[in-house]
Amino acid sequence: MSEHCHKPIGHDPGPRRTAEFFPGATHWPADLSRREFLQLMGASLALAGLTACGRPTQEKIVPYVIPPEMTPSPDVMWYATALPWQGYARGILARSVHGRPVKLEGNPDHPESLGATDAVTQAAILSLYDPDRSAAPRRAGQVATWDLFEREWSGRLPEIKTRRGAGFALLTEPTTSPTELREIGALLEAWPEVQWFQHTALPRFDQDGVQSDFDFAAADVILSVGSDFLFHHPSSLRFARAFSSRRRVENGRANLNRFFAIEPTFTLTGAQADARLAAAPSRMPALLNALARSMDGSEIPASFTVDEREFILSLAAHLAGGRQKKILCIVGEEMPVEFHQWAGVFNRRFGGDTVNHTPALRSDGAPLCRGGLTEMVAAIDAGKISGLCILGTNPVYTAPADVEVTAAIRQVAWTVHLGSHVDETAEHCLWHLPQSHFLETWSDLRAYSGSATLLQPLVEPLNDSRSTGEVVNFLRTGARSGAYDLVRGTWRRDNDNESDFETQWHAWLNRGVVDATRDVRSETASKSSPVERIFPVLTGSDSRGGVTLLVRADASVSDGRWANNAWLQELPRPFTALVWENAALIDAALAKRMELQNGDVIVCEANGRKLEAPVWILPGQAADCVTVALGYGRTHGGETARDRGFSAYRLRTVANLWQQAGVSIRRAGRRQTLVSTQRHFTMEGRDLARMTKETDLSRQPESRNPASLFPSWPYESYAWGMSIDLSTCFGCNACVVACQAENNIPVVGRDQVSRGREMHWIRIDRYYTGEGASPRVVHQPVPCMHCENAPCEVVCPVGATVHTSEGLNDMVYNRCVGTRYCSNNCPYKVRRFNFLDYRAPAGSPVYLQTNPDVTVRERGVMEKCTYCVQRINAGRIAAEKENRRIRDGEIRPACQQACPAEAIIFGDLNDPQSRVVQRKREAISYALLGELDTRPRTTYLAKIVPADVATERTIPS
Amino acid sequence: MQPAPPNDPSHRPLFTARATHAVRIALLGLGIAGSAAAYTTYEYFHSPYWNRIGIAPDQPVLFSHRHHAGELRIDCRFCHTTVETSANAGMPSTQTCLTCHSQLFRDEPMLRPVMISAEENKPLVWTQVATLPDHVHFNHSIHIAKGIACASCHGDVTTMALTAKAHELTMRECLDCHRNPEPHQVPASKVFSSRPVSLSRDAGPTATSEATTLPVVHPAPLTSCSTCHH
Repeated sequence: MSEHCHKPIGHDPGPRRTAEFFPGATHWPADLSRREFLQLMGASLALAGLTACGRPTQEKIVPYVIPPEMTPSPDVMWYATALPWQGYARGILARSVHGRPVKLEGNPDHPESLGATDAVTQAAILSLYDPDRSAAPRRAGQVATWDLFEREWSGRLPEIKTRRGAGFALLTEPTTSPTELREIGALLEAWPEVQWFQHTALPRFDQDGVQSDFDFAAADVILSVGSDFLFHHPSSLRFARAFSSRRRVENGRANLNRFFAIEPTFTLTGAQADARLAAAPSRMPALLNALARSMDGSEIPASFTVDEREFILSLAAHLAGGRQKKILCIVGEEMPVEFHQWAGVFNRRFGGDTVNHTPALRSDGAPLCRGGLTEMVAAIDAGKISGLCILGTNPVYTAPADVEVTAAIRQVAWTVHLGSHVDETAEHCLWHLPQSHFLETWSDLRAYSGSATLLQPLVEPLNDSRSTGEVVNFLRTGARSGAYDLVRGTWRRDNDNESDFETQWHAWLNRGVVDATRDVRSETASKSSPVERIFPVLTGSDSRGGVTLLVRADASVSDGRWANNAWLQELPRPFTALVWENAALIDAALAKRMELQNGDVIVCEANGRKLEAPVWILPGQAADCVTVALGYGRTHGGETARDRGFSAYRLRTVANLWQQAGVSIRRAGRRQTLVSTQRHFTMEGRDLARMTKETDLSRQPESRNPASLFPSWPYESYAWGMSIDLSTCFGCNACVVACQAENNIPVVGRDQVSRGREMHWIRIDRYYTGEGASPRVVHQPVPCMHCENAPCEVVCPVGATVHTSEGLNDMVYNRCVGTRYCSNNCPYKVRRFNFLDYRAPAGSPVYLQTNPDVTVRERGVMEKCTYCVQRINAGRIAAEKENRRIRDGEIRPACQQACPAEAIIFGDLNDPQSRVVQRKREAISYALLGELDTRPRTTYLAKIVPADVATERTIPS
Repeated sequence: MQPAPPNDPSHRPLFTARATHAVRIALLGLGIAGSAAAYTTYEYFHSPYWNRIGIAPDQPVLFSHRHHAGELRIDCRFCHTTVETSANAGMPSTQTCLTCHSQLFRDEPMLRPVMISAEENKPLVWTQVATLPDHVHFNHSIHIAKGIACASCHGDVTTMALTAKAHELTMRECLDCHRNPEPHQVPASKVFSSRPVSLSRDAGPTATSEATTLPVVHPAPLTSCSTCHH
């Protein structure tokens, strides 16, 4: 049972803040006479004037002693590197200002980024400055030094050498890093008796050593069986770019694909489907079997529901369409292996060249690896391990409940844990060693598509930390070598000429991708799977009554690895918009049957293990399925991570990692408040997020602006505007975090969010439309609209929000006195107010992340989206210096730059050739709440729904 | 109704005529004193003393712009290397000083801090002379590109033995130029010349009269708030 479910209501797990007021200052004094009140007020008024007095400050300037290599602008430097995403590379460009890394952007040259990022990549910069990262080695809970560790290891080395490593074990996360794998390989070669285990709580992205790649741009029809390829995949950014290219309207035409999805619980990918079937895992085999049979003309069994029948018939019609169409099937990593075999047959028959198989790159199935946690615990129980090194993974927290890993680790005499935080595993190990952040050390990684990237540091390690490669190398050699030498050693061939290699090395670092012809990977032939063309008959899993528990990685904190990142904690989760905690997602029918409401706590019980969790009702959830997210219920690992939500690992078993049937649930009889940023999900009959049928793409738009007596204001130079495509936006939240990182947006904490005080400048509204078990979902990003007739401007008594000569709706922080009239008068509710001082505490390393181009706001100031005016200014300065106009696409706000689906386009409305003007010319372009005549500069493209799969039932007209 | 008898004590004036007079004078005096205090306060906060105009702060090295920029005619950009490319003008690294001073005057006591900085690899810590508040985002490079001479804001440093602030650098001064930049512009060839260009409005015409070609400025966005505050 989770003790964390018993948190009192009102417990605020918000970020740490400095005491903003004197003790007791916020409480009204109990017995205050009229005279004392007047005295206090008079004194306050007199003193208030003094706060304006202050002599101009005299700050210090600290120049270099020896300047770095000169570039035109040494203030700002960009470095190409990569983010480790579950062991795979995501290419990034890191921006460093005066030596401080401040922002991560996608690397356009990297095949898995193409210039885009996801929310986690945007938030990773905050983890660099995490104040809770472990700062020094610890031995038995006491602060120690690396020297001490090195001496202790040197003492053990002779014995390990003589025993050829017997009794010593290594536990790592699966990785693609050539250097780390080379070091592990060298260690195993030197001491063949060393036992190497690997563990991750997250899925494998290969099937038996073969990974599949998909060409979503070429596929005409896509069937997804529980896959979240747009969001949770090493190639999700590339997939999202390709997929969105087939969902976009251009010049009134769209080459739409058809997307079918069967899934038990909403994924961001499945929500984009033209036809989606919410099916429990136990129902899926019957559906897939029926689909396979329907291709041969068999009848659909009578027991199928109307929804199921329609879905299968509609898909079968495409399959019967034959050779002209390319139809691919992708199966979620969490699905059983038989489903993947079924998809293999499907793709061989219909996929054509849209599906490609290559050898797996990550070390999950490495031949030298002795297995996972189960095997490790068995070896420990057999007394075969006396020394254990756990590198960069946290098994005590992430192990399935039926693996007694904690007891096993405690049995081992000498244990070492390398990790970024003193986490649950560190607590049970003799040694804890601090692990470097990927922005402060050298390493290398591979992308899913195979290309390698060198990871280069932007700063010296902030703490006394080392990388995994360095530690493995030290274990073997007993001598310290730097990560730089190790990585260079991996990539340098014996016959390399020094200067040639240097040139190559710099070119690779510069581009962020290693030249493919020089890759060190030994290409092994793809494992040829049997050329099976007959669909296997899938057998249903047992339906033992009760509900099916679905375990998924959290959309923000994943398996818990990002749990100490406040940006990700406060990011509204897809569909539920929950923040700072997880919940058990259930379908409305189950909620009705058990009389459950949002926040009611249920007890889930399976195999004698219990879990208490508050429920949240999710439309589109398959019947009798309960979805729980990993990553919560942490007991260690930082202030932000600790004591939030419940740990879904408690019900997980090795045999049923992702879905477990026969789980009994009952009411616990209590409630818990859950904090969500959007509790309303219908549009109440208004067309806020519009949908258009494919056949209506060129229908003439209605008159855009209501008539006005006033002439419109002339904009002679630039006129900035934005267009957001609802067809391609799939709600991944990358823009929200990108905006937060770019614009120094603070985190306010759970308690403040529950009061509606979240600060995100761009939010993603989510609406459900249509009837039935699986409603249609629209995601609508809403930043400031920069209205031409801005309602906020006319009500500001101090002129703190005004129009610029280029049509921006400026927010002037140093004029704002905090009346909040503007926010009251904004129909879009995009203005954010600093009710308290939300800045990081003075002296916190988090301050180092702040973007120096954007003012940090204090208490009492209104703020909102500025279209990233600092980037507009930088673009204008660059153009003005060359006496030219700003080119289209030269200025990209943070949200546009991050978007993997290219849903957001910003540009000059005065330039008829600009992309934003092209988009706004589409007939389906519309203004949100345009009937108010605010004339927003941000407009939307309605979501396109293909005509043949869309029934009148699901589209409100 | 009958008039009250004049000697009725309840109808005697409360204050004598003299007292009333004194109070009136005192009130007037208070008004004058108040205005004077307000005026003095205003003047004080706009005084060169308060704004440190002409007052050189203590610096780690007694560096003379008069000697380097005036007498030796070293270009501004030799030390302030990024003034044409970056928001910051750039401060010279210790190595820049050593370009000459590794040979010249290397044993002078005045240069000791520079030598110590180089030997110990510790940067010199200078005190900023011309400071803007943190909510102002000033970019040197665009001002240089558009023909605003260094001296416009920094004064004639070639006459300063010790560097001091030459202008208040208030928003009023910024706006005077942003509203009507042309009088304050100089041709590109004169941007780094040491001749001071006054920031006051009436000095404008003389600046343009000798100009040949001024850089093109699009003044429309210059008075938008977000051009400097974002």
